[in-house]
Amino acid sequence: MKKFLQNKKLLTVCVVIIVIFSVLGTSVHLRNKRNTPLIIQSLGNDVVAVGTRVVDFPISLVSGGLSNVNELLNTQNENNYLKSKVTDLQQTNARNKTLEAENKQLKSALKIKATLSDYDLINASVISRSPDSWTDLLVINKGTTSGLRKNMAVMSGGGVIGRIVEVSAASSKVELITTSDKAANRFAVEATATNGKKVHGIITVIGNNTLAFTQALDSNKLKQGTQIYTSGMGGNSPKGLLIGSIARTTHDSFGLSDLIKINPAGELNDPSVVTVIRRKVED
Amino acid sequence: MRSLRKFILAFALYVALVLDGSLALFLHQFMALGNAACLIMPIGIMLISLFDDLNNKEIWLAIGAGIVADIYFFGIIGAYAVILPIVMWLLQKSARFLPEVFWARILAVLLAVVIVCCYNWLILSIIGVIAVPIKTMLVSLLPTLAWSLIFAILSYPIWRRLASNYPFMVNLDNYQH
Repeated sequence: MKKFLQNKKLLTVCVVIIVIFSVLGTSVHLRNKRNTPLIIQSLGNDVVAVGTRVVDFPISLVSGGLSNVNELLNTQNENNYLKSKVTDLQQTNARNKTLEAENKQLKSALKIKATLSDYDLINASVISRSPDSWTDLLVINKGTTSGLRKNMAVMSGGGVIGRIVEVSAASSKVELITTSDKAANRFAVEATATNGKKVHGIITVIGNNTLAFTQALDSNKLKQGTQIYTSGMGGNSPKGLLIGSIARTTHDSFGLSDLIKINPAGELNDPSVVTVIRRKVED
Repeated sequence: MRSLRKFILAFALYVALVLDGSLALFLHQFMALGNAACLIMPIGIMLISLFDDLNNKEIWLAIGAGIVADIYFFGIIGAYAVILPIVMWLLQKSARFLPEVFWARILAVLLAVVIVCCYNWLILSIIGVIAVPIKTMLVSLLPTLAWSLIFAILSYPIWRRLASNYPFMVNLDNYQH
């Protein structure tokens, strides 16, 4: 022990390693527990986010030009498909308006202010992405000043793509639903079984970024193609956000329970614009 | 304003950090094919340490850049903030034994990229932020090295010019008389 204490180089290395792990542990703890990051961290995030917006502008012009050419080539097919949907859409819109008005009247009659399915939408642009492909983190250009809070659900391309994990004043970090982060909050979801009953469970990630519907009872009554929505039971997200549809049902590696694989509905590969969902019902 | 010249290298690294995030976003469809990483800022640190191997103050530049990158990309401190100063120190020590030619420096940078990737994978796995098998990580090294080679070749003349003309925290006016 005396020899160890007299060896200054060895002692310094030990102290440095202890300091590194202490800083790492503290920052991980703060990231998981705190609702807002430390002021210095928030400032750092926003300073880099401002630079990112400036740099993104010329890059997006070039990138946008290339994707515009690609979209032009697909225009005819898209136009034909959309024409076939227009008639249905008008009818659906009219029906939705009627149902919405009826729903409002019923709520006011029952004196219900907000339910699990009530939410506001906040649109944001993706300005940056984590440089490695493992962490599945996006940075968006809205923060606490726009009313964003930690754990809000984020949608893109018609489905849920993740949730907010860190909010600064003018930027936020979004962790994708496919993340393998062990500390990530999972979405509580539900699906309608063949017998008409609701099946509840949570979304987890298995293997190579594959989504699965787990902890579900009566999972054998779920058919392929059944759509899965958030149930609002997790306390963070509203009810009724589309997660995806059932791809296939297999057994887990032990052969004991069902493993329901899901095709995600959201745009996970290239989300440029996202919608943050603010639930109206308080926790 | 002349006094700010000694901080130009720090500003260049800030731009490189921003570019890392932007290119990772816009080139995601290509980079995600082999789980490649976009490492423009770490490559900048590596090249600076090879060009200006006698400037001990640059270790603070690596620590600062590492902390900012950690905060912005991961929300935790301990990934880039640790490995970038270590890599800088290693490259500064090895620079005196390396021939001062383009390909030797590029090879040193690629070797350092492997160290950075392995360390990041190890530390992020330990704290549970990722659960990537070692095989996937090793396979992802090849596309990462390919992208890093492109970035290193493209940015080589920029970092050489910046490191020789605007060394960090060194007032060059003292040497002009």
